[in-house]
Amino acid sequence: MSALLTTNDVVVRFGVLQAVSHASLEVEPGRVTGLIGPNGAGKTTLFNVITGLQEPTQGRVVLDGVDITQKSPFKRARLGVARTFQKLEAFSSLSALENVLVAAEQRRAWDKTKFDPAAVATEMLDRVGIGDVADFMVGTLPTGTARLVELARALATNPKVLLLDEPSSGLNEEETEEMAVLLRRLVADGLAVLLVEHDMSFVMGTCEYIYVLDFGQVIATGSPAQVQQDPKVQAAYLGTLPEEVSA
Amino acid sequence: MRLKVSPRLFAVVAVALGVLYMVVANWGGNPLSLKNIATFLVVGIALGGIYAILASGLVVTYATTGIFNFAHAAIGCFLAFTYWQFSVNWGWPVPISMAVVLLVIAPAIGIGLDRLIMRRLRDATLVVQLMVTVGLMLAFMGITLTIWKPTTGRTLPQFFRGSSGVQIGDVTATWHRIITVAVAIGIAVGLRWLLYRTRLGISMRAVVDSRSLAGLTGAKPARVSGASWALGCMTAGVAGILIAPETGLVVENLALLIVVAAAAAAIGQLKSLPWTIAGGLIIGLSKAFAGVFLSFDQNWTYASEAIPAVILFIALLFLPQARLETGKAKLTKRTERLTKPWEALLGSGVVFGLVFIWAQGWIPWFGTMFGTRSDVWLGRAAGFMVLGVITLSLVPLIGWAGQVSFANFAIAGIGAVLFSHFGGQNGDPIGILLVMLVCAPLGLLVALPALRLKGLYLALATLAFAEFADKVIVRHPNMLDPSATGTLFEPLRIFGFQISTNVGDRQAFVVFITLIFSLFMLGFMLMRRTRFARRWIAMSDSPAASATIGVNLTVQKMLVFALSGAVAGFAGCMLGLSSGALRVDSFPLFAGLPLVLLLAVQGVRYPIAAFMAVLGLASFPAINEMLGKPSWLTAIELIGPGLAAIGMAFRPEGAVFYAGRDLAGLLPWRKDARLEKQLLVARTRQENIKKDEINDLGLTRPFTPDKVSQLDRVLNVADELDEHPLVATRGNGSGRGQHSGNGHGRVPAATTEVLG
Repeated sequence: MSALLTTNDVVVRFGVLQAVSHASLEVEPGRVTGLIGPNGAGKTTLFNVITGLQEPTQGRVVLDGVDITQKSPFKRARLGVARTFQKLEAFSSLSALENVLVAAEQRRAWDKTKFDPAAVATEMLDRVGIGDVADFMVGTLPTGTARLVELARALATNPKVLLLDEPSSGLNEEETEEMAVLLRRLVADGLAVLLVEHDMSFVMGTCEYIYVLDFGQVIATGSPAQVQQDPKVQAAYLGTLPEEVSA
Repeated sequence: MRLKVSPRLFAVVAVALGVLYMVVANWGGNPLSLKNIATFLVVGIALGGIYAILASGLVVTYATTGIFNFAHAAIGCFLAFTYWQFSVNWGWPVPISMAVVLLVIAPAIGIGLDRLIMRRLRDATLVVQLMVTVGLMLAFMGITLTIWKPTTGRTLPQFFRGSSGVQIGDVTATWHRIITVAVAIGIAVGLRWLLYRTRLGISMRAVVDSRSLAGLTGAKPARVSGASWALGCMTAGVAGILIAPETGLVVENLALLIVVAAAAAAIGQLKSLPWTIAGGLIIGLSKAFAGVFLSFDQNWTYASEAIPAVILFIALLFLPQARLETGKAKLTKRTERLTKPWEALLGSGVVFGLVFIWAQGWIPWFGTMFGTRSDVWLGRAAGFMVLGVITLSLVPLIGWAGQVSFANFAIAGIGAVLFSHFGGQNGDPIGILLVMLVCAPLGLLVALPALRLKGLYLALATLAFAEFADKVIVRHPNMLDPSATGTLFEPLRIFGFQISTNVGDRQAFVVFITLIFSLFMLGFMLMRRTRFARRWIAMSDSPAASATIGVNLTVQKMLVFALSGAVAGFAGCMLGLSSGALRVDSFPLFAGLPLVLLLAVQGVRYPIAAFMAVLGLASFPAINEMLGKPSWLTAIELIGPGLAAIGMAFRPEGAVFYAGRDLAGLLPWRKDARLEKQLLVARTRQENIKKDEINDLGLTRPFTPDKVSQLDRVLNVADELDEHPLVATRGNGSGRGQHSGNGHGRVPAATTEVLG
């Protein structure tokens, strides 16, 4: 299977700090790819590079064979990149339905197929399971629900690649499980999902392939089982020095 | 990449050519002799030194607190007047007056502002921050005008006026100028020492980098913000006292120095002190250059006053593009629903009906006391409703798209001037369309240099444009008849009907303009339901998220500016008609600010707020007349809107919102509002219970692990941490804490309680 989205040797430097160093990922359609790592590992920065909010110091982002490194965020969205945010970026003074509607209406700018934005918006809200709050202002919704609004909004752009930044935070166990089911259904339809997540049971249950990032570097890759066994990963999370682990 | 640079390059070249033209066309003929150059340098450096002092205080306050203080120069003005009061009027010795003003009053104002107002603004939206400080500016101007009536002339003497000064070649540098330069250098060195060598200064710089982190390492952000406001006010005072002998003690002129300070601060990118000081010097030298070498003919009488505005524009062209930041989205917790079309119709119908029956004289009970339907008040009503249309043009721009512009009144002014050239003088309505076609791109042009920058620069750019339009465009003799009568306008003729504006027969125009106002209001209320409004609001709530769903931010901003400019231009056409004449002084910069503030106070996102704002504006002369025009109310047109805007620090959403939230339930068909209110009450009660529980724990510093776990239990997060030891080990705080704190349900926490 060929990768739909690749980041190629991406480096992001803030002054002397190297937030992302030589990170290369491949995100394939039809499966959830996990991106995990301790706080400050550079996960969100990498998301920003992929969506165009952060210009990389070096490296390339390729979508479907097209180099999009120099493209502005809105053009990438039109090519099929969508995301949610770790810290909420919902349109808080619009209703949940309007949030998704904005995205569905915007899709008309590039999607030539005929569709009714209002119907798409309602469908997306139902799909993520929050049809009952359609008319609530998003600013008044609990964090977890607002995250689902962001997800519905991202889906309304009909993306090829979906980047989710900690989607389960703010959700309870039951909702997290529903989210996992939803993700499995989305990838079954051929979507490529890149998932940043701290909830390990969620990650291990949904991701088929995982990249582990620490201090901006990919320190391990593989299936959930492989990654869990990796001593470097355990060291990164538990803060133990690698020497001690190997000893 | 090249395409991105070239429009900017084009703009730079265009501005450079414009400046070059002005220099060549107005060359005064003074030779470039050593003496002239020396004079230019002495005057320029002294003036630039004052500007540098003023701007450096502004930058220190902005960098450490994130709030751009539009009142900075107005505070300096107030302090200069206070100093005059002590040293000249009461004859106190100079050092004592100086010490009281700069070491007692200035810091007191700064600390007071910080405590009472500014700390509440830290998490406010840019719109609210700007409105509050602009309100503060008007309030300080109004207070100064009330205490020191402008009818009396006052002069502040230069320091050491009697002595001859120092001879530099052929040029004499007065002691005042030498002191000015010495003080400027002293303040620059002092600020540098303070910021790099003292504990307070290091805390201040830490706060600039990260407020929360600085707080953790023991810096006290509260103390730092108090100190920086005090410092800001002190520099404003120094600058005010030094510059007043040169410019005269005139409130408007001194308060307008904010444009100068903003231009210098923009050169310093609002953070670099050395560059800000350089910026002050550049502006000072430019003005001195114009003074020594140029002599503006009667076409450009006021051009030299527009120099700071032009420099601000140029500075904006050189600023690096702003990044789309994430994690800064403001969370507004408002509950409201869209206005239904029939409600919009009803609302605009009521507005039209109210003014209509008043204009027809069908409301007898006002008597002769308040809002009486006299010719004077009919004339004012015509003017107010025109201003109302300009105010409406700000609703999509500021209210929805979050683009703060102070330029719309200037655009309307230019529209008025153009209309007089497009047949408006003869009452021909066809010119209105032409004016709108010119004003739409004009609105866009104003915004263009700032579109790629963050919102604050846009506000500064539009302020600079307003100043530029007032000083250069409108006052050009080809634009308006420069005589005292001004350019006269015939009443408008539409399809054979003449809409009279003659004294004694004015209600026709009042009804006409009110109808137009109501139609625009209806249009905007309906527009809020369209995809345009949705997209603009989305863009304002989160630019980053908008971009990632495919919104081209630049195009959307241009659209909303063009729409707003066209409506303002339309209103401009009405401006000349409403009064029958336009004079060059019809559009001073400050005239538009009160209405912008009143709109914000009423609720900048709601079209009906424009009508409330106009009513508010009308109430000031009404109250003034009702009370028999007492002298303490002379500046009520400034103080009133100013204080109202300051109140936004406490109630940021606008009166229309609060009224809607609290009163909509009274309307029989608003069952939803009644339910919403119940929810709100229940939620507040629940939050208070939680707060009480936390307070009852009585936890004080230092926070031991034991106390933290107590807190966790109250917040129901204790179990969470046990479940995910991996997460807990590295102290991942992102999101986990929000988990339970916000309630598990998808509907707002209180819903289940009330509904279930």
